[in-house]
Amino acid sequence: MLRYIFKRLLTGIAVIITIVMLITTIIFLAPVDPAQLTFGQRAETGAVAAKRTALGLDKPLYIQLYYYLRDISPINIISLADAQKRRYAFTSIIPLGKKKLILKKPYLRESYQTGRSVSAILSEAIPKTILLALFAITLASILGIFLGVIAAVYKNSWTDNIAVVCSVIGYSLPSYVTAIILALIFGYYLGDLTGLNVQGSILELDDFGDPVYVFKNLLLPGIALGIRPVAIITLLTRSSMLDVLNMDFMRTGKAKGLQKTKLIFKHGLRNALNPVATAITGWFAALLAGAFFVENVFNFKGLGEVTVTALINFDIPVVMGAVIFTAITFVIINVLVDILYAYLDPRTVLY
Amino acid sequence: MFTYLMLTVKNLHTYFYSEGNCTKAVRGVNFDLAKGETLGIVGESGSGKSVTALSILKLIDQPPGKIEKGEIIFKTEEKTTELIKVPESEMHRYRGKHIAMIFQEPMTSLNPVMSCGDQVIEAILIHQDISKAEAKNRVLALFKEVLLPDPVSIYDKYPHEISGGQKQRVMIAMALSCNPDVLIADEPTTALDVTVQKSIIELLLKLKEDRSLSMIFISHDLGVIAQIADKIAVMYKGEIIEYGSCKSVLQNPQESYTIGLLACRPPLDYKTRRLATVENYLYSDKLPFKEEKIKVEETEGRLERLAAQKPILKVDGLKSYYPKKRNFFGKTTEYFKAVENVSFEIFPGETLGLVGESGCGKSTLGRTLIKLMKPIDGSIEYDGIDVLNCPKSQLKALRKKMQIIFQDPYSSLNPRMTIGQAIVEPMQVHKLLSSDAQRRDKAISLLEKVALKPEHFSRYPHQFSGGQRQRICIARALAVEPQFIICDESVSALDVSVQAAVINLLKDLQLEFDLTYLFISHDLAVVQYISDRILVMHKGKIVDRGTSEQIFKSSQNKYTRKLISAIPVVSF
Repeated sequence: MLRYIFKRLLTGIAVIITIVMLITTIIFLAPVDPAQLTFGQRAETGAVAAKRTALGLDKPLYIQLYYYLRDISPINIISLADAQKRRYAFTSIIPLGKKKLILKKPYLRESYQTGRSVSAILSEAIPKTILLALFAITLASILGIFLGVIAAVYKNSWTDNIAVVCSVIGYSLPSYVTAIILALIFGYYLGDLTGLNVQGSILELDDFGDPVYVFKNLLLPGIALGIRPVAIITLLTRSSMLDVLNMDFMRTGKAKGLQKTKLIFKHGLRNALNPVATAITGWFAALLAGAFFVENVFNFKGLGEVTVTALINFDIPVVMGAVIFTAITFVIINVLVDILYAYLDPRTVLY
Repeated sequence: MFTYLMLTVKNLHTYFYSEGNCTKAVRGVNFDLAKGETLGIVGESGSGKSVTALSILKLIDQPPGKIEKGEIIFKTEEKTTELIKVPESEMHRYRGKHIAMIFQEPMTSLNPVMSCGDQVIEAILIHQDISKAEAKNRVLALFKEVLLPDPVSIYDKYPHEISGGQKQRVMIAMALSCNPDVLIADEPTTALDVTVQKSIIELLLKLKEDRSLSMIFISHDLGVIAQIADKIAVMYKGEIIEYGSCKSVLQNPQESYTIGLLACRPPLDYKTRRLATVENYLYSDKLPFKEEKIKVEETEGRLERLAAQKPILKVDGLKSYYPKKRNFFGKTTEYFKAVENVSFEIFPGETLGLVGESGCGKSTLGRTLIKLMKPIDGSIEYDGIDVLNCPKSQLKALRKKMQIIFQDPYSSLNPRMTIGQAIVEPMQVHKLLSSDAQRRDKAISLLEKVALKPEHFSRYPHQFSGGQRQRICIARALAVEPQFIICDESVSALDVSVQAAVINLLKDLQLEFDLTYLFISHDLAVVQYISDRILVMHKGKIVDRGTSEQIFKSSQNKYTRKLISAIPVVSF
């Protein structure tokens, strides 16, 4: 198991390096000058050139790439003379003559637009998004699995038909449409009744300018994000359960005197969960990567919004930071899924 | 001897409804079962024997199934119950506690994600109010009673970690866990090897003695039933056509169907030209079957003639391994040696039998021969061509000459292709005949050859029975006019009577087309019947070889003897 995790983390690092290479290349080839953009329309040529040098944009592609990888790597070898110029804190581990091996936090550079550190921008947005995604996926999982099981057990009944039709509708609705509908109905028209806001993030400033958690602001965006996963999870649970319900061991369970509910949940559901687990974790990773439309509708200020704003402004460091975070999320979640598989099904062998 | 009746089934009718069609699976079945008695129900697939068993516990899925009418009276010392009238919400009090059941497929009848111990404990805790620790002790005692090796470690193992026979023992332990009055065993040994089958039957006999169990034992194999049953019910098309004590039914069968069933097993001590099928006895318009023995001199003459030729297939030092353990970089460090150093040769026109228990490597050997699997080492020479190192163009020509017929006729035909397409396709691949019209004609003539009809050409596999599907697979293999056919357990999944018919067909085709067979099977009786020579395989190695006569009558090999002694025989 440990060997497996180690192996997967190594591939994960390879994935991240590839992604960095890909994005750096794309940006290098794009006909946009980020240095120019930081100054706006009326920039002096000299200032722009100075900025380019400062940002290292005048260097060839492979040097830029090397610099960036060096910045994000948590372990590094730097020369002592170089050390002072660094803009990040580090702990040295082993001195190596004129150089030394250091340990540091990955340095994601600063935003071209605001000059704020990318780490700070991301660490502000990410927790909000994580909470939102967690809420949406939990809601979707509970509801989806329950509906799926019911639909499978009462196959071809009206309950089943309604569940399937609703799932198809739910899946066909783009999340921003549901987001707007939900915001209008429950935030605007019924706002006094429900007490929900049309817009707002989970972390808001109160009247005195202090940050407060407004958990009810999770509700509407969470539901809007959760509807499509609910539909998928329902359909998957249903079809997977239908297979399992026909299996021989279900008959064995019945023959030993198990009552229906216990048989279905204890023996049936556990065997049906594998494909469902794939869907749930896949969606969770996708939600974490940012749900721009929904975040935008509710003005949620999460990762999706940060990423898209940065893209529009060609704010490369922020885009890179967001993409790297997303990649890491996917790598970690994939490892977790595989471990979850092994737990759900003892026949799984992890290589 | 039998004190009182535990179970009486009267006029049971169970039907299945689908899309307006009604299949009358069980039509008016009557039988009774006394305390300590074993009733054997025998019949071919689709005869309604399993449905009868499932109806007793109302385990039929409703819909599509429905118990239309009848009475199932279950009597214990305390009370008498009419099981059909018991509502579904109350049925669970009877299932497992009073009437327990074991099933055919131990591989799929246990929940794969629960440990063996937990599954048995669950059964105990449903019906009895005892602590978990106490239940665990009881499970361990049960595991010991069903002769599982090392009960403590099996307790924590998952079903996939133990063998098929051990799984069936766990199933039996589970069924016995609540001291049931009646045990229903639905083909409990069919999926197991003969030696394992023997040990399971011995176990059931012992348990029946120890616990004075009443048992309903269902099987398609009269040989198995004969060993365990006190009385026999023969089922045919949903009805019991013959019912009586074991002795009287076997010694003096009244119905032609029963006589046919008894006759169609290959005889063990002599060879015959053809095997009887049930049809020979059922339909009076066919000529009555006359057994024609083959004289020993004829067999010997044939063997000499075959051995005088140049071998068509020469296998030398063949090794086929599966990876078992891998190191960090994905390189295999440990192998499972499925085929270990196997050498043999086959002569043109010969049938070589390859016999062994499941997991002995016989199928891997078959797959390796036609290069569906790459061996680690060794050489295969077919008709002078080095199979393992020949160029691609030659390989294609080789594939045309060597064909394989698999075990499961249900999964080896593409359900979305008509059987006509299935037979024509290999001809197209190998560019046989010049036009599709000709290929179609050829396919139709092949269908007739395997006793199917031309109008079957455009039907789909699901419209055929198991035996018919196996005939289709044979026709498909014959389509490319092969010389050498590997039959990998090709008749194992078929009913005895259908099996006899397919074996007859294979023998006819061999004569007509000069075919050479490698006949792989776990069923020694069948291999003995069809083969000229036999290889016995055990744990990847050939442990015994000889002519069919030698192996059966005079083999000194311990393993061979063990296999032979495990063949269930109807003895009177």
